[in-house]
Amino acid sequence: MNKYEVIYIIDTAMEEGARKELIQKFADLIAANGGAVEKVDEWGKRRLAYAIDYKVEGYYVLMQFTAGPDVPKELQRNLQINENVIRSQVVKLLQKKSSVKPRPVRAPFAAPAAEAPVAAPVQEAVAPVAEEAPAASAETVAAPAEA
Amino acid sequence: MSEDRAVRRPRGRKPRRKVCSFCVDKIEYIDYKDVNRLRRFTNERGKILPRRMSGNCAKHQRQLSEAIKRARAIALMPYTVD
Repeated sequence: MNKYEVIYIIDTAMEEGARKELIQKFADLIAANGGAVEKVDEWGKRRLAYAIDYKVEGYYVLMQFTAGPDVPKELQRNLQINENVIRSQVVKLLQKKSSVKPRPVRAPFAAPAAEAPVAAPVQEAVAPVAEEAPAASAETVAAPAEA
Repeated sequence: MSEDRAVRRPRGRKPRRKVCSFCVDKIEYIDYKDVNRLRRFTNERGKILPRRMSGNCAKHQRQLSEAIKRARAIALMPYTVD
């Protein structure tokens, strides 16, 4: 599960009821794909820094959610299909990593000691095979000599 | 612009060493939504200022350029101004 953030711009020509429905639709889509919507922040009407499709303002919506890696793709696809969404962007948020890896300190030393009794019988088991091998090779070496 | 003067300084005078403002503010992640902060690092044409102008460290300059590009893509910041 990763944290993501999606921001999209809805056409201001859209009526309020329909817009609310649309925002809910995207939130449901995330939930339906096994994600959890954490925050829905409606920025409201805002001037665009440059005209998109001759529109100079748009309704910005920001959502934060936690979801698996397949969800952003599906969400992006749906956002792009919808004609009322002027533009959208899904961004993966940075997870805070701890600088120290959790790791048992004594583990590498404790492990060989515990394995030692197990290792000994294995060696014994190998030994008879090793003894047989030279005998077998001696026979094969002897065979050509006989011929 | 004091920075312009720093570039055309007379020979021999050392310029004041610039410090990365993100390091000073202890910012770990430069947010593309923080337009007011990002705007300070673009010139009046909307171009991203180089490190020699902004004084940012390499790490934060990389993050900054990424953030500005994201802001541009979602029309929070302009690609060009004229």
